[in-house]
Amino acid sequence: MHLLKHLRQLNGLQGLRQAIRQVSSAPTKPSALQYERDPQPLFTDAETQRLLQSMTQLNLDRVYRKRTVPDNSSEIKFMTNEQLDSEFQDMVVRAQHMLQMPPIVEIKKDVERVIDKDPALKDFANTKYVFTDITFGRRQSERKVFVRETDGTLEHATLDTTKRMNQLYFPLEGRQSYTPRMFALEELLSKCLTEHKYEFILDRLLVQYEPYEAEFHNISARVFEHLNESKQFDLLRSTRHFGPMAFFYAWHRCIDDLLYDMIRRDYLHNAVELIALSYKVHNIPVEYEATLTELDKLHPTPAQTALAELRSVFRRPEDKQGIEQEINTAIGKTDQDFAADEISLKFIEQYIASEHSLKKVQLELAVQTLKEVNREKLLLFQGLKKAHGVQTS
Amino acid sequence: MSLSPASGIGRFYARSAKIIRFVRLGCTNRPFYHIVVMERRKNQHQPVIEQVGSFDPLPNDFNERLVALNTERIRYWLGKGAHLSTPAAELLGIAGLLPIHPRTYMTAWRNRRAAAEAEATSEKAESSSTA
Repeated sequence: MHLLKHLRQLNGLQGLRQAIRQVSSAPTKPSALQYERDPQPLFTDAETQRLLQSMTQLNLDRVYRKRTVPDNSSEIKFMTNEQLDSEFQDMVVRAQHMLQMPPIVEIKKDVERVIDKDPALKDFANTKYVFTDITFGRRQSERKVFVRETDGTLEHATLDTTKRMNQLYFPLEGRQSYTPRMFALEELLSKCLTEHKYEFILDRLLVQYEPYEAEFHNISARVFEHLNESKQFDLLRSTRHFGPMAFFYAWHRCIDDLLYDMIRRDYLHNAVELIALSYKVHNIPVEYEATLTELDKLHPTPAQTALAELRSVFRRPEDKQGIEQEINTAIGKTDQDFAADEISLKFIEQYIASEHSLKKVQLELAVQTLKEVNREKLLLFQGLKKAHGVQTS
Repeated sequence: MSLSPASGIGRFYARSAKIIRFVRLGCTNRPFYHIVVMERRKNQHQPVIEQVGSFDPLPNDFNERLVALNTERIRYWLGKGAHLSTPAAELLGIAGLLPIHPRTYMTAWRNRRAAAEAEATSEKAESSSTA
């Protein structure tokens, strides 16, 4: 009997050691870039959110792409034009909902909250007891978990234990009760990174960890740093992770690569928004609101653009398009776009000239190339208009 | 035995004596308990009025024993005058829901005494072996 008990204890110890090994092998080494103060008020600020949403863009093909889920089936229906239009509107709203950004919040620290100390209860058992309140209808965040230590102390459980108990009694779909191998083993994570599976990592991270956990911050920081080196920012565009990424770069003063990418792809208004965001984050006294409002007047929001694109199916081919419309589609830009580009270029050049930009030469070159392309386009645009006798406004 | 819903399927009389107690589930050499409310006179494996928690007496990998308690319903049944079996009362005492049961203090004291005795004998054995 005694021998059995002893064996069982040894087994328990081994389990403990295993658990420790599993925890310690996780790549939880804090990244070099950490939020030194609480980023939440700045991140949830309405203006910041608007900037980030605009930068994310809304490409419906990206949002509603086929995913690796069991059911990717589609349904075919006959609809009137009105029904189709309302369906389009719903679709855009749903897409916006799917692009909701995960919050960036401070790492939560464990606080020891002792409820009761009873020295007479010392050694009442050889292990501690963990009590979980399973009262019906509570949210995960408000569930209470208590621990009675072997020395008789009753206290609130640590965040780690609370999460484990929540997952045990009220499992979330997709979340595992142990660290997934992908996050536990360094070589697997770096393999994912070198294969540019950024969205996959970030999605899984979001399922596995809460935004206030240290692992969430460390791994997402690693992904963003890797992205900044590989410069594959387009992989995250129109996903829910683009906003946090842009915010991360703005906070840690490394927006230049992303900015270069935006200029190269001719997303000038996004570039302006990114610069404005970095000014806002670091309280740099540069007036950016005026430029932004001017640009907002000239540019539709991502949702409006997406809806307009969807509604283009209502145009029948035999409908006569205005010649101006035709020129616009041929060039890919309108009068308004050219005006907006001019304003944004001025703002961007101002930024490049200032001491805040780090990769001046690269950015200047990109701006120069873009300017030349734009000038040619503008000449063509004006020439076409003149040839067709369209009045320039 | 197939599982019944936690809301319970047991029939009971309004004024009969109810008790909060353990039901031993699990299997041979692997105990696992449901904490349930049932009529006092009934056998533990008969249908229960309500399941209000669970208790795993074997320590897990992190060396902890897990208890789940539906505190809202436990308080309701205690208010209705339900009785408590001793193990259930001990557990609720340890959880801090009720005062600590005297038997828990007794166990603690006995464990401490046994540990002290074991230490004394081992010290004596050591001193005799070195001498």
